[in-house]
Amino acid sequence: MGEGHLAISVENLKRRFPGCDALGGVSFALPRGAIGALLGPNGSGKTTLLRVLAGVLAPTSGHAIVAGQDVTQQSLEARRRIGYLSETAPLYLEMRVGEYLTFRGGLYGLSGSHLAKRLRTVLELCQLGDVQRRVIGLLSRGFRQRVALAACFLHEPDVLLLDEPTGALDPAQAQACRNILRTRSPSQTVLFSTHSIRDAEQLAQHLLILNAGRVAAWSSPADLIQSMRAADPGSPVAHSPLEAAYLQLTAPPVMVRDPTTSGQPS
Amino acid sequence: MKIFFHIWWREVSAYFRTSMAYVTGFFFLAVAGFGFWNATARWAQAPSPGHFANGLFGSVWYWLAMLVVTPLLAMRLFAEENRTGTLETLLAAPVTETTIVLAKFASAFSLFLLLWAPTLAYGFLLRHCGAQYPAMPWGWVAAGYFGTALVGAFFLAIALFCSLWTRHQMAAAMAGLGALGILLALGFIPVHASGIWSCVAQAAAPTRHMQDFAAGIVDTRHLIWYVSATALVLFMTIRVLEARRLR
Repeated sequence: MGEGHLAISVENLKRRFPGCDALGGVSFALPRGAIGALLGPNGSGKTTLLRVLAGVLAPTSGHAIVAGQDVTQQSLEARRRIGYLSETAPLYLEMRVGEYLTFRGGLYGLSGSHLAKRLRTVLELCQLGDVQRRVIGLLSRGFRQRVALAACFLHEPDVLLLDEPTGALDPAQAQACRNILRTRSPSQTVLFSTHSIRDAEQLAQHLLILNAGRVAAWSSPADLIQSMRAADPGSPVAHSPLEAAYLQLTAPPVMVRDPTTSGQPS
Repeated sequence: MKIFFHIWWREVSAYFRTSMAYVTGFFFLAVAGFGFWNATARWAQAPSPGHFANGLFGSVWYWLAMLVVTPLLAMRLFAEENRTGTLETLLAAPVTETTIVLAKFASAFSLFLLLWAPTLAYGFLLRHCGAQYPAMPWGWVAAGYFGTALVGAFFLAIALFCSLWTRHQMAAAMAGLGALGILLALGFIPVHASGIWSCVAQAAAPTRHMQDFAAGIVDTRHLIWYVSATALVLFMTIRVLEARRLR
């Protein structure tokens, strides 16, 4: 498979913050049109990876190509082709839904009849037609999440980077969000982070499991389950084979006390 | 350019969506109105053009309005975006940091000019008040407004820079107030004081510059100083915002 088939190509990506390495050499590639799920415990580097890919943070070293553009060298062009939803789904609360989406469309160069057409499409896609004249600050968390998601789809990005899109939603809203992702254009690629194994199982064709800033696994859910079963049949207690594989890959290292020393773990 | 106006318009309309524009406007017009009343009273006692223009553009009321209003206008621009996380949305969009900073600055400057606009009525008010006042020194007043725009732009650039460093609007306002207070304090260094710092302080003191503007003098040195100082502070703001991606 050539580079042209890849929507996201990441090579030895590192991101260092003062006092910690958030990403310690991450490499993976996601084909066009695929959905990838980013799993990992808190602090494993999921959000940092998405922020680097979205062009919000610069990598310390390594390369990341998103939608055919280098996120460092061709940052503006890359950002034009990305729809990014950050973890807290920040919005201008004093604006009305329609106004906010118009503003977001304008940032991506949409205007006139094209913008109006895209507005109608995303309002319908995210079922926001009834609240488009409502002030965002007066909406529930679920509606706000949908507004943020609608803004991501507005400029028809090639790649959607979503940080916990179903994180704070109730089951019905989370299902609505999953449906939105399923009904996207087939050419659009999605990489989303989640703590929900169920979301990953239901949506993703590719799984990237991060642990302490490094890639613990990168494969399809079926391959991952098979390889983990083969490697260790006595997997931890879990609700699903995928969850068992996840728990195995992200388990903290076992601390063994050495009785010959003063009790310090070795 | 289209995106610049897009962000500018959002920022300007945001002032009016919250109580910010109205509270700031009320405070400003109250203080400016009192300054005008004071200037008029002094002018009636000693009718010289200098008395009127100095009363309008060099009084304590004038500097109080400038000192308080500019941090109030700029405090929200970045601090609120830092607090709510919406700055990340802007940084993820195909918009340069230069466009973001200049659009935000332009929105605050637009509102600043809008606040000053009603004070243009003062002159017309006096003109139709009767014969007890001498002819309005229009040239002096025009130079005063020009100087006010220059000083206001510089003050807003400083307050905007302060807003970038915090998540709290009040902290941004206090930092802006402190920085501008120090700048204004330069004007209180005695003219006869010697030494390089005294010379620098006198050259940079807005109160001294406004004395010239209020006397109808548009000195090119003042013009260059304010344009270049404003540009420098805005440049620093852009660079700090760019550095956010590296932090």
